[in-house]
Amino acid sequence: MATIVAAPPYSSTATESANTGLMSWLTTVDHKRIGVLYLITALVFFVIGGLEAFLIRAQLAVPNGTVLSADMYNQLFTMHGTTMVFLAIMPLSAAFFNFLIPLQIGARDVAFPRLNAFSYWIYLLGGIFITVPIFFAVAPDGGWFGYAPLSTKQFSPQINMDFWVLGLQILGISSLAAAFNFITTIINMRAPGMHLMRMPIFTWMSFVVQFLVALAFPVITIALVFLQFDRFFGTNFYAIGAGADPLLWQHLFWVFGHPEVYILILPAFGLVSEVLPTFSKKPLFGYPVMVYSGILIGFLGFGVWAHHMFAVGMGPIADAVFSLTTMLIAIPTGVKIFNWMATMWDGDLRFNTSMKFGVALVGMFTIGGISGVMHSSPPADLQQTDTYFIVAHFHYVLFGGSMFGLFAGLYYYFPKISGRFMSESLGNWHFWLTFLGMNLTFFPMHFSGLLGMPRRTYQYDAGQGLELFNLLSTIGTLVLMLGTLFGLINLWKSWKSGERASSNPWGAPTIEWAIPSPPPEHNFDTLPQITSRYPLWDLKGAVVTHPTTVADEAGRVQKTAKQLGIPMPNPSILPLVTAVGVIVMFSGMLFTGSNMKLAVAIMIGGAVWWIAGLYNWLLTPLEDAH
Amino acid sequence: MAFMFRRRAWMSTTLLVALAVLAGACSTDYPNSTFNHTTDFNAANDAVWDRLLFWGTIVFVGVEAALLYVILRFRRGSAARETKPVHGDTKLEILWTAIPAVILVFIAIPTVRTIFMTQAKAAPDALQVEVVGHQWWWEFRYPELGITTANELYLPKGRTVNFALTTVDVLHSFWIPQLGGKRDLITNKTNYLWFTPNADIATDALNGFCAEYCGSSHANMKFRVYTVEPAEFERWAAHQARPAVFPVAPAVPAVPSGAGVTLQTASTAPAASDSSAPAAPVAPQLEPYWFPKEQLPSHVIPTTKLPVGLTFDESALAAGDPERGRELYSRSSCIGCHAIAGNPMSMSKVGPNLTHVATRHTIASGLYQNDAKHLALWIKNAPAMKPGSLMPTLGVGEKDPVRKTVMSAAMGGLTDAQIADIVAYLQALK
Repeated sequence: MATIVAAPPYSSTATESANTGLMSWLTTVDHKRIGVLYLITALVFFVIGGLEAFLIRAQLAVPNGTVLSADMYNQLFTMHGTTMVFLAIMPLSAAFFNFLIPLQIGARDVAFPRLNAFSYWIYLLGGIFITVPIFFAVAPDGGWFGYAPLSTKQFSPQINMDFWVLGLQILGISSLAAAFNFITTIINMRAPGMHLMRMPIFTWMSFVVQFLVALAFPVITIALVFLQFDRFFGTNFYAIGAGADPLLWQHLFWVFGHPEVYILILPAFGLVSEVLPTFSKKPLFGYPVMVYSGILIGFLGFGVWAHHMFAVGMGPIADAVFSLTTMLIAIPTGVKIFNWMATMWDGDLRFNTSMKFGVALVGMFTIGGISGVMHSSPPADLQQTDTYFIVAHFHYVLFGGSMFGLFAGLYYYFPKISGRFMSESLGNWHFWLTFLGMNLTFFPMHFSGLLGMPRRTYQYDAGQGLELFNLLSTIGTLVLMLGTLFGLINLWKSWKSGERASSNPWGAPTIEWAIPSPPPEHNFDTLPQITSRYPLWDLKGAVVTHPTTVADEAGRVQKTAKQLGIPMPNPSILPLVTAVGVIVMFSGMLFTGSNMKLAVAIMIGGAVWWIAGLYNWLLTPLEDAH
Repeated sequence: MAFMFRRRAWMSTTLLVALAVLAGACSTDYPNSTFNHTTDFNAANDAVWDRLLFWGTIVFVGVEAALLYVILRFRRGSAARETKPVHGDTKLEILWTAIPAVILVFIAIPTVRTIFMTQAKAAPDALQVEVVGHQWWWEFRYPELGITTANELYLPKGRTVNFALTTVDVLHSFWIPQLGGKRDLITNKTNYLWFTPNADIATDALNGFCAEYCGSSHANMKFRVYTVEPAEFERWAAHQARPAVFPVAPAVPAVPSGAGVTLQTASTAPAASDSSAPAAPVAPQLEPYWFPKEQLPSHVIPTTKLPVGLTFDESALAAGDPERGRELYSRSSCIGCHAIAGNPMSMSKVGPNLTHVATRHTIASGLYQNDAKHLALWIKNAPAMKPGSLMPTLGVGEKDPVRKTVMSAAMGGLTDAQIADIVAYLQALK
């Protein structure tokens, strides 16, 4: 019985990984470095998406604008939405998931470090795949929502929508892999004593988001696979000539699409729930209620999708039910707003840039929430849907909410990420210009919408009473761009030469602030023992995570993981290799229309490539023998 | 005190915003405003909106004022203050869970009531209108009246109209902001929308839009709505139901023969019956009516720019001959798509019905004025005039912007002189 199979011999050649140079970035499996990669990549896409928006607004500045052609305009608004949702805001959130979750729960890394790297590379390559066509004017042009039958081959015969159908599937792989990774990490790798109700609120909201991703992305994947089969293999899921019901797409898309909204906003809520207590010097008011309301928002988010479809003629019963479920979401959301204000009440508010963005989120998201309740009511929504009123609404949610929260998080965590402060004077410009520009751009859209301007129109007639609102929106975009420029300059300069930050420069309460800034590769020298929700406040000085070292700003040397005997995952190029194979395989589909043999060859080549990569990956141990 | 001033500024801003919204409701400066009470439908919907705006304003002012108070009251002054580590308060949590819940009840009840009221079955005696969406134009049929027209809709005041909405291609959405909310046109499905324009609203011309993204020229898929007196509507309908009178003959009540069609009368009858079989009963002929051009308000006169480089020899227009034009029209590719009741060669239903095209004020789905110059340019190169247009380029020497081919006479291309003849024919189709 006692047949003991010997473990395969580990190679003991691995040395301490280099941490500079291109190769170190291509092979890194360190969650912090992957977080930084996500951050930089997402900011690049944020700028691209912003420039797309600027071109849209330039076209709409005056009636019958001539900056863009109709087709270019349609490509740009499709790509603006797709870019901002999938390539900017979600990955910006992912940057914080990556960087923060292991630090907040006291872990060495995520559960599957190489899968984590794989997620990033798929995101990067998928983002390039879907973005490059815009530079050749062949970008997707069916809207970010890709409604069938317009997105089917019959009505979009060109290659444009192929990029979209394939690109979103590629990006879905990245999101799903990351979701399972973080769920596993949060469930299994919390430090001793950190039961769920002691978990930092950002990690909590991220936890909810991972479940939303894991449950919502399969639905859009199904919708996309149907569409892909229709487009490439002639199936009839959405083929109207074969009697398809186009509402199939809409239901599938919005069953994904509405939870997606909470995927975009809950991480920002989490970040703000870290920022407000620290800069108010008060614990988060009603922590358990904040947790429950986050869970409730996520849960209810799956039951409201058809409020995007009040005009499709679902009948009065469905309209009424989805209207009421949508209104219900206002309750947990309102509770969050009140709790944030109660957190600040009687606090000692320090208005640095992070806090400004955080408080602005509370104010701006409220506006988006109110207009959201307005079109939760179908009688009002029938006038509002597909007008600029909706554009105003969701930009208050996604810019005033998500982006403000992410900016607040960036200014807050930048010292932890880089060991340096971001400049407050540049940050001040960044905040005020962004705040002003955002309101100048999006507030007038409430009016242009209610006064009869439909969305997704590349031109409008003069004399419709829309000139002033549109011009104001366009001027607002310029202010926003200026503000963003200040933010980027700030990021760049502070990264190079910002003022040095200590391990806990803000006097924050959670354990990521107990380790040096930037954290060593292994994060914690010893496993932290968690006895409270806010250990750094409750047990002043008692949380010893670095008994053998102290922060290097004191001039002392940090010990490495190897010196401490902490086993670390080895760097690996295989996640990147595998990701490239996946992209090649998907790219092959693009050629099915023009050259089937070539297409099949590329797809098989890509498949063999990634399977070989994965095989090697699975046979290579994560870390050295210990 | 600074914060008092700021708060007051904030409140007055809010008030201004509310006032601007109200101004939008009544002002003619906003011809597509959604705040009207011109039909039972938009009055009911706007009543819900008023409640939403009322509660929304209260929440907005309440939350933002409280937030500003917190910001100004508790911001750190010159020195740090001690704070109390308050972790929460159950009573408060219950209170502010209840507040939004109660407000929502006030919104939910009228919402549900209005949903069921506005989506009930239309009155059985409602005027039936079939709306058919096409990329990128609107087909309107009045099945009881035997009328098929395009892009211009006539509605009698005081009578319920029931729209049956379908589409032959992708999704569209039917929206007349001045008269009510929108309803989508869904492929393989018929949707309904009904409302009753008030009897006392002005005789007016309104804008309609496609509100669901439908491809290249989504922005250009507009239409016009004329709210007219019932008597005017009857005159319009009687006229539209007859075949076009061509050549313009003295007022002979020539109903079945579709005056001027000299081809086999046998084939004329079905052509006429195509749109107007029941029009045969020769009632006392009503004076034709269509919305007078002089009375068009400025907001329904398109301002679309002409494409750069597309020109037409305007002197040719004066020389256009309607008779030659009819002959040319009837043997060119025009008849592949269009129908003209009274012209037996022209029976296709792919494109807009042109029977009374000269009574319309716009062409290309509300994109250009219906005059000789725009018609001529449109025939010459429609895809250049309207991105994605499914009407092909027809002018000799014109480049098709999609197919990148240049039209030649051998391909059936038309010279400016020939186009001028066709324009003269179309302009005679009153």
